[in-house]
Amino acid sequence: MAALRLVLGNKNYSSWSLRPWLALCQAGLDFDEVVIPLYRTESRPALLQHSPAGKVPVLKHGERVVWDSLAILEYVGETFRSARLWPADAGDRALARSISAEMHAGFAALRTAMPMNLRERFARREHRGAVSADIERVTAIWRDCRARAGDHGPFLFGAFSAADAMYAPVATRFRIYDVALDATCRAYVDALLSLPAFLEWQAAALQEPWVIARFSNPAPVEGEA
Amino acid sequence: MSACTLIIGNRNYSSWSLRGWLAASQSGVDFATELVRLSEPGSRAALLRHSPAGRVPVLKHGERVVWNSLALAEYLAELRPQAGLWPADADARAMARSIAAEMHAGFSALRDAMPMNLRKSLPGKGGGPGVAEDIERIGAIWREARERFGVAGPFLFGRYGAADAMYTPVASRFRTYGVALDPICQAYADAVLTWPAFLEWQAAAVEEPWVIPEDEV
Repeated sequence: MAALRLVLGNKNYSSWSLRPWLALCQAGLDFDEVVIPLYRTESRPALLQHSPAGKVPVLKHGERVVWDSLAILEYVGETFRSARLWPADAGDRALARSISAEMHAGFAALRTAMPMNLRERFARREHRGAVSADIERVTAIWRDCRARAGDHGPFLFGAFSAADAMYAPVATRFRIYDVALDATCRAYVDALLSLPAFLEWQAAALQEPWVIARFSNPAPVEGEA
Repeated sequence: MSACTLIIGNRNYSSWSLRGWLAASQSGVDFATELVRLSEPGSRAALLRHSPAGRVPVLKHGERVVWNSLALAEYLAELRPQAGLWPADADARAMARSIAAEMHAGFSALRDAMPMNLRKSLPGKGGGPGVAEDIERIGAIWREARERFGVAGPFLFGRYGAADAMYTPVASRFRTYGVALDPICQAYADAVLTWPAFLEWQAAAVEEPWVIPEDEV
């Protein structure tokens, strides 16, 4: 088999990098990794050496280059079918793809207001407007999926799937920013964030020396003092 | 097979709806279209009746509800593998998915500054910070796909597919706002904008009476 290599940003901050990394680990695939610290003068040329889009994550599989978290999840799901990255049931799979795509292109307010920063903890705050609407929508998705999954496992579709990889960084944000959650969502966050693969990522993140100032002191949310 | 219905927004403005509709047309699935007018007082409630995400496009297939243009493309590609929505060659398919995803989550400067507006010709308008970089990157994507994989036809990967559906609204913006393109990119834009399914959509779009002020540059 051709070698797999994942090109990542800082583990402390790069939520898009965490998604495929977690998926590859959960799929049991062997891969090596290259971490490129982001938001430094040398970041952009380093990124462009790996992919023409100049962004992380990038998956290299032999000579093949796949970029963007969702494209990587589709590629891995298709190339390594035994990993069952997408749910086996066609209806579940359609839903998993819909919510993954919704995450991929959406929730900009939440992502901007609560950057992933695994080293930090911030006090709970009142959210209004677009951030509050994003939190409500994410938790509605989780509750809906968890109700469907029943007792088949602790993840959105029972067993771990690509959709969980897509939402894992949101789970970290809810913990970092102490977002109030109902019992169902709290249990889901706990399941994701106690995965051995996530704990391994987090331990590596905490060892990183790089600090990105803009993500260390989140700007006030619009409409909030 | 159960009946399919595609929920779309205004054809003149809704670039994400156009993507879903082009993919559905290309898939060969028989589907009805239902339009929800966007940016009106009742729009949000109407959208929420179709999908919990409250956005277009939405595909209803029997009891199943699939939303978001990219999820629709994957769903339709699984439903109708013979339609070739994704290229058959694994290298081409990897690139097709990468650039479709790059479009899906990116190019926000271009999308904000140059909203899709099929009725209008506004050459020279639609500039702003980051727009030139987005145009440059899209041009590079098109050239690379055409050069590496486009030998069998005029589209990104030869035959018309999901990646072309994703980039068609960009081609329409380049035309509306008079963006100068090199010959390879211009030929590609011409190919997607003369594709019969696109012409059918456009003909319906220009007949729509509704105006969304925030999408008028």
